[in-house]
Amino acid sequence: MIQFLPALPCCLIQKDAIGDVKASLLLLILAALIFHFPGSYASSAEGSLSAEGSAMAEGSIPNADKSHASMFAHDGFPSATECGDCHPKQYKQWSVSQHAYAQMSPVFNAMQATIMKFTAGTNGDFCIRCHTPVGMNLEEDIFMSNIDRHPTSREGVTCIVCHRLNQAYGKLSGRLHIEAGPVTSAIYGPIGDSTELDNAISKGGLVVDNEKAGRKVHGEVEGFFQLNTSGFCATCHDVNLVNGFRLEEAFSEFKNSPANKRGLNCQDCHMGKEPGKVLAEKSDPDFYKKNYHFGPAAKVGSLKTKNRKLTNHMFVGPDYSVLSPALFPLDIRAIKEEHEKDDVRARGMATIREWLIFDWKAGWGLDDFEDEVDDDFEFPERWESIDDRYDAREIITDNLHLLKEIEIERLKLLQNGYLIGEVNVDKASAKGIKFSVQVKSGTDGHNVPTGFDAERLVWLYVSVTDSTGKVIKTSGDLDPNGDLRDLHSLYVHNHELPLDKELFSLQSKFLTRNIVGGEREQVLPVNYSASPLIFLRPSRNATVLLGRPNGARKHKVGIEPNGERWATYTVTSEQLATGTPPFKALVQLKAAMVPVNLVDIIKGVGFDYNMSARDVANVLSLGHVDEDGEVIIWNEDSDDPVDNQVAGHQIIWERQVELSLDGRALGGQGK
Amino acid sequence: MKVSRSESSFANAYSRFRRNLFSQLILLSIGTLVHMPIVLASSSVGADGERTSRISDEAVTELDLDAMPKRPKLFIEWGPDFLGNGNIPRGIELPTGAIWQPTLIVFGTYRTALQAFHRDDETASEWANQMDLFANLQLSGSERFLLGIRPMQEDGRFTSYQFGPDNGFDDDTGWNDETNVEITTFFFEGDFGEIFPNLDREDRKHLDIGFSVGRQPLNYQAGMLINDSIDALGVTRNTLLPKGTSDLQLTFLFGWNDIHRGDNIEKSNQKLYGFFMAMDRHRTTINVDLVYVDDRNGDDDGFFWGVSDIRRIGHFNLSSRILGSHALEEESLAVGDGYLLFAELSWTPAWTDDNVYINAFLGIDDFTSAARDPSTGGPLGRTGILFQAIGMGRYGAPLGNQATESVGGAIGYQWFINPIKNQFIFEFGARQGTESGGLRSVAGGMRYRHVLGQHTVFQFDLFGTINESRDDDFGARLEFRFEF
Repeated sequence: MIQFLPALPCCLIQKDAIGDVKASLLLLILAALIFHFPGSYASSAEGSLSAEGSAMAEGSIPNADKSHASMFAHDGFPSATECGDCHPKQYKQWSVSQHAYAQMSPVFNAMQATIMKFTAGTNGDFCIRCHTPVGMNLEEDIFMSNIDRHPTSREGVTCIVCHRLNQAYGKLSGRLHIEAGPVTSAIYGPIGDSTELDNAISKGGLVVDNEKAGRKVHGEVEGFFQLNTSGFCATCHDVNLVNGFRLEEAFSEFKNSPANKRGLNCQDCHMGKEPGKVLAEKSDPDFYKKNYHFGPAAKVGSLKTKNRKLTNHMFVGPDYSVLSPALFPLDIRAIKEEHEKDDVRARGMATIREWLIFDWKAGWGLDDFEDEVDDDFEFPERWESIDDRYDAREIITDNLHLLKEIEIERLKLLQNGYLIGEVNVDKASAKGIKFSVQVKSGTDGHNVPTGFDAERLVWLYVSVTDSTGKVIKTSGDLDPNGDLRDLHSLYVHNHELPLDKELFSLQSKFLTRNIVGGEREQVLPVNYSASPLIFLRPSRNATVLLGRPNGARKHKVGIEPNGERWATYTVTSEQLATGTPPFKALVQLKAAMVPVNLVDIIKGVGFDYNMSARDVANVLSLGHVDEDGEVIIWNEDSDDPVDNQVAGHQIIWERQVELSLDGRALGGQGK
Repeated sequence: MKVSRSESSFANAYSRFRRNLFSQLILLSIGTLVHMPIVLASSSVGADGERTSRISDEAVTELDLDAMPKRPKLFIEWGPDFLGNGNIPRGIELPTGAIWQPTLIVFGTYRTALQAFHRDDETASEWANQMDLFANLQLSGSERFLLGIRPMQEDGRFTSYQFGPDNGFDDDTGWNDETNVEITTFFFEGDFGEIFPNLDREDRKHLDIGFSVGRQPLNYQAGMLINDSIDALGVTRNTLLPKGTSDLQLTFLFGWNDIHRGDNIEKSNQKLYGFFMAMDRHRTTINVDLVYVDDRNGDDDGFFWGVSDIRRIGHFNLSSRILGSHALEEESLAVGDGYLLFAELSWTPAWTDDNVYINAFLGIDDFTSAARDPSTGGPLGRTGILFQAIGMGRYGAPLGNQATESVGGAIGYQWFINPIKNQFIFEFGARQGTESGGLRSVAGGMRYRHVLGQHTVFQFDLFGTINESRDDDFGARLEFRFEF
């Protein structure tokens, strides 16, 4: 197809000489172009997918063990499990992190597939490049079941994504080069001091030659100055689409923040002792001791390296897993690959497909269940052994504890990011009460929410009750799907529930510009109004001058660093008349990972791990619950649902105030 | 069908309209539009067969991988695949510290259409063609060169075969050859801090200054203030966070060449200075744009401004704009004194994803844009499909799109049969000149678009217009748009 191009300028330039014939020729060439390009998805496919590769149910396991084994033998991109042998603390932190969850997430997998479908495949690997750089390097298909991905691909932003990077790429939206090589190849750290490594190699009998047998480690640690800077995070955390859409601006916000002026880095708040907060000023001579844990960076058997500053690799953020706790966090003991199924030396206990039929919610592997279960209860073949069920339960319980740990840390992060300020009664009489709630940013490092802020939910739930506890007004409540009653709620959109007109939400909104009729909110930023064929190509105008392509943009509504917003509420005389004074207002600032309406719009392509949209939505909003909506009790130390909750909406702050009809707000900070 | 002045009342026009077979079709479209929310209602369907808002309980036990479109190849793609998988090259480190990973792709759009446009008792029918061809040399995440040509159009004329009329608008029947290789787009854009990272290895200083220099398309206030491709230098600061604001973007622009004025005509020795501000607040997005054009050869200096507010009110989307133009010396076709008030209201009916819109404008005196490309017509294109320039050939905007002393609007319904497969737009529009003796027109139209395969869209347009004081207009067209 390229060969016609040299002729093109020629035929164009000789305008007068050729005349009509030239134009005809040009049109013929164009017609040839049209017919050259395949007209269907299938015929233009790059690579192919076998139907069996998509099979998910245990009964239809793909017969691809050999090819998997061959593919998985590729050791250019070592797995985090290999790093975890000597860096167990860092592995454990990372294993429950958003970085580890990036590709495992069924919501992400379905979301990027939906965008691929909407964009006729032209979005390519844009989304997934950040979520599984290794998978893309291994030329895996852009959309496939995670179950069939390379195990290191499933690890998402795994160790080597940061520690095999040795050039400062700048704001690259994640399209970075990873140095390939076996685990014995050099890794990159902020300092690059090999003294402790050399000591461990000599004393620990470690192997640095990939061809030799033994416990292999990286032979060198090289310094990469950028690892300690915010610019390193910017490689992925300023996301600009090829058409100029500024999808995420966490780093750009930081650059214009007071925190940057104070000399802080992303790492200081997000890899220190407390998520979202520095525990000392950077000017403090003991800043590092106060703000970071110290300890050995590696452990080889009983040999520990010298204490040094340790960064927290948990990267606590607003996301949480909707998966079975058997699958996430990424416990080294849990997952084995299909080709390892009969390999007793495999580190993992069961394949993902086998884990999917382990009914952890029913209590398998717990005394209460096992003591009561009927003898004729039919377990799946893989889980017929009670010993296996107990072993599996041990992994699950450990994972749930780890999920609980990060849930507590997530709450700290949110509490450091948001504050409820004043609650004022502006007007109060029998004609009605008007009160306002101040929501403040708790950080000076970036907007809150930041990053993927068009899908992050932080909102105020307000409930006004009378003296008997009767609710006379609410805002920020949920529809039956678990959505806020905003324009994206299916119930509100379909006029089955009223719009929550006083809703205070900090979720930014994607807007698409209709072909006619202004801009409208969309759950996904795909504009099929302008054209049913959304064909993503580089912007035809300068992206930096607009930052907002003509077809779609984001309306940011987050609070700027150290900023504040006020939410106002009115209790009408009619509402007051339904109750008896005194009246109280319960004010809760709440957070969720993503809204349920996102799950609805991406459900068409299917969720990984056999999950239904309802399954995903339930964990998103309620956490792990049974069929009656009751929290699954797994914690051996407590039956309190709060102590057993590891996912779902969180209350960041809560305050109860008395709405006095003389115009005072009485009461103080709650949680 | 000639109409005398004495017969030119709307009642008579309506009567004629009813008798016209073509017009019957328009009436049918409008009737369909009125009933659309009922006829077209769609919904999720629950297990009981009833539509429901409840999110589905059904799991997809097998991901349908074969139904997933694969990344379409580009016909020129040098360097790593554009948004393709595989390890990305390490790149080259410049002395400045920047890492560049060059990749060149060629892409564009080809449109071809058969169209007929009847006005003033003449029907201009043609096979028209239009093409945008671009070469994008991406150097890094923020730096690139873009080169573009429009090899089948020049100065608003398009490569076409004209079937009629013999005494047509500009050309005789037969081939109209407008093939050329004039560069319509050629600019470099980047981020100063990203080009010179060694100036700030810690990445702390405010060197994140975006800039773009060269011949580049510019579009401000939804194309009403500027919609042109000009030689310009633009400098931007993004993601500024002043108190009470979620986002602020400031842009300064200097244009020195290839500036088409409000009458779509390029004038030499024009200089354009612009300041553009976009701000997100909690409930609204506000744009404030100011432009000064210095005519160094003549008397067409002008000052232009636009303010917009975009928000949602309940279930409705509302975009409101007010724009002004001021001739600083003498009024002319290039620059006039006037104002344009423009409002776009839309909503999505329950149980659908469709788009219902009501747009209205009021042009006070002679509002002119600061810069307009010849193919873009006037500033009112966003009023509706009846006001839009098709952007190729001699097929005009049925209701025109100039803003001078007029009032009008459109109501329409965009029906997504399948959002990424096929859709209809039905629209009814009207406009009236506000000056004495101004033209009054009403029109109905529809558009159908259908995606064919992975690269092509088929489009069919149809319209009819009743004019109070002159003959009716009508037209139809078939278009294929090919993206590559």
